[in-house]
Amino acid sequence: MKNILRITILGIMRDRVFHGITVAALVFGLVPVISQLSMRQVTELALTLSLSLTSFLLLLLSVFLGGVSLWKDIDRRYAYSILGLPLRRSDYVLGKYLGIVSFILLTATVLGIVGALFSYSAIGVYPPNRPVLWENYVYAIFFDVLKYALLVSFAFLFSTISTSFFLPMFGAVCIFFVGSSSQEAYNYVNSPEAAALHPAAKSAITALYYVLPNFGAFDFKTNAIYSIPMDYQGLMLTFVYFCCYVSIVLGLAVILFNRRQL
Amino acid sequence: MKKMLLYLLACTILLAAVIPPFVGYQKQKSFAEQLGVVPRGEVLRYVAADQKEFLAASVVLKVLIYFGGRSQALPNQVQLPVDYPGISRILHSAVKLDPRNMDAHYFAQAILVWDVKQIDVANGLLEYGMRYRDWDFYLPFFVGFNSGYFLKDYEKAARMYRRAAELSGNPLFIQLAGRYLYEAGRTEHAIVYLTAMEKSTRNESVKKNLRTRLEALVAVRAIENARDLFASRFGRQPHSIGELVQRGMLSSIPHDPYGGTFYLDEDGSVRSTSKLAFGHLNQPSTEVTQ
Repeated sequence: MKNILRITILGIMRDRVFHGITVAALVFGLVPVISQLSMRQVTELALTLSLSLTSFLLLLLSVFLGGVSLWKDIDRRYAYSILGLPLRRSDYVLGKYLGIVSFILLTATVLGIVGALFSYSAIGVYPPNRPVLWENYVYAIFFDVLKYALLVSFAFLFSTISTSFFLPMFGAVCIFFVGSSSQEAYNYVNSPEAAALHPAAKSAITALYYVLPNFGAFDFKTNAIYSIPMDYQGLMLTFVYFCCYVSIVLGLAVILFNRRQL
Repeated sequence: MKKMLLYLLACTILLAAVIPPFVGYQKQKSFAEQLGVVPRGEVLRYVAADQKEFLAASVVLKVLIYFGGRSQALPNQVQLPVDYPGISRILHSAVKLDPRNMDAHYFAQAILVWDVKQIDVANGLLEYGMRYRDWDFYLPFFVGFNSGYFLKDYEKAARMYRRAAELSGNPLFIQLAGRYLYEAGRTEHAIVYLTAMEKSTRNESVKKNLRTRLEALVAVRAIENARDLFASRFGRQPHSIGELVQRGMLSSIPHDPYGGTFYLDEDGSVRSTSKLAFGHLNQPSTEVTQ
C-alpha cells in the first residue's frame, strides 16, 4: 500500500498538478489589494479571501484527482498490470486514496502558509479591532482538508462502479453541493417557516440529512475570520464523524472494487 | 506565416477599436444590469456551499464600487440617481449570507439612514447583525443613534447606548444615554455621532458623504447657538437668520454644502431649502424595500 501511495503522489507530481496550483496561488497576491477596498473589515476580508481561495482550489483538486485517478488507471489498463502483482485490491484502492489525500494535505499546507502571509501583510497595514486567532485559521484549513478527503472517498466510490469519468466527477460535484446545504435544509424543515411543508417532504429531507455527508459541519471559516472561539468538543465530534463516515464510504468502495470485473 | 501575422494584426486592431465603445457601454449599464440579479440571501445560502462569507463580501464590494462611482462623478457629468432600492436588497442578501459582515452594516447605516431616511430598514439590518456580532459596540451605537435622533424613541436609544457602553467600556456612551433621557442637544449629538463615523471609515466615497453631512450640521449648530443667544438677550425668537447677522450674533449666513439656503421656520427651528440632501427637489422616489 505504501508503494501505491508513493507512486500516486509521484504520478500527481509528474502530471505537474503542483505547478498548476502554484500558478493559481499567484492570485493570493491580490488578497492585500482587494482587502483594502473594505470600509471596516480589512483583516476579515483578507482572511475571507485567503480561506475561500484555498478551499476552492482544494475543491478543484478533490474533484479532478478523486474523479479521474482510479478511472484513468482502469481506462488505460494500468490497473490490470498493477493488480497482476501480489497486491490486494483493497490495498490498491486505499493506497491511491491516501496518496491523493496526502497531496491535498500538502497543497493545503502550502496554500495555507501563502494565504496567511498575504493576509498578515494586509493586517500589518490596518490592524484589526480584535486580534486574529491564527489557531482558528489552522483549524479551518485542517477541517477543509478533512472535508475534501471525504469528498475524494465519494469520488472513489463512484469510480468503482463507473466506466467513464462523468459519474465520479459530476457525482462528486453534486454530492458536495447537496452535502454543503443539507444542514440549511434540515434547519429549515425544523423552523416555523416550514409549518406548511408536507410531513412526507419533511421526513424525506430529515432522512437525507442523516444519510448524506454534512460538508457544512467542516466549515470553520467564520471562527477564523471573526476570531470566534472554537468549541473543542464540537471539533472532536466533527473529527469522529469524519472518521466514521469516510470508513464506511471507503469500505463500500473496496467491496465494490473487489467485485468489479476487470 | 505572413498571412497569419496580418490576420492577428487585423484582429488586434479590431479589438482595440471595439474596446472604447464596449467599456462605455459597460459603464452606462444600470445598477441592476451591472450587478445582475442577486437572489435573496435565504436562497443563496443553499447554493453558496462553503463560500458564503466570500459571496457576501463580493456583493458588498460591488455595491461600494458602484456607490463610489456615482458619488464621485465630476460636476460637469450627468448625475444618474443612485439605485437605493437595489443597494438595500443586496445588503439584505449579504447579511443573510454572512450576518457578521461589518461593511454591509456600516454601509446601511452611513447611506440608507442619511441619504434615504430608511431608518427602520437600517435598524432591522443592524439589530439582525447584533445577534451575531455580539462583541461589537458599533451596532448598538448606530441603533441607539437612529432610535433617538430620527425615531425619537428615547427609551430604546438609552438602552442601546448602555449596551454600547458595556461592550466598549467607553463612558461617552453612558453620557449619550443620559442625554437622551431628557431629549436635549439633538444637533450636538448628531455631530458627535458623525465625527465618530467619519473617523472610523476608510472608504473615500462614504467619508466624503459623512464630511458633507457633518459640515452641514456644524453650520446648523452655529445658527442654533446664535438663535438661542438672541432669544436670551432680546426675549423673543429672531425673524430670520439675516437678523442674527445684523445683530452681530453671526458673522455671516453659513454655507449649506448641499447647495440650499438656511432659514428659520415658524417655531424657530433651523431648516434648509436643500433639506440637507443633494438634488432633493428632482430626486426620484428612493423608497427601499427589505
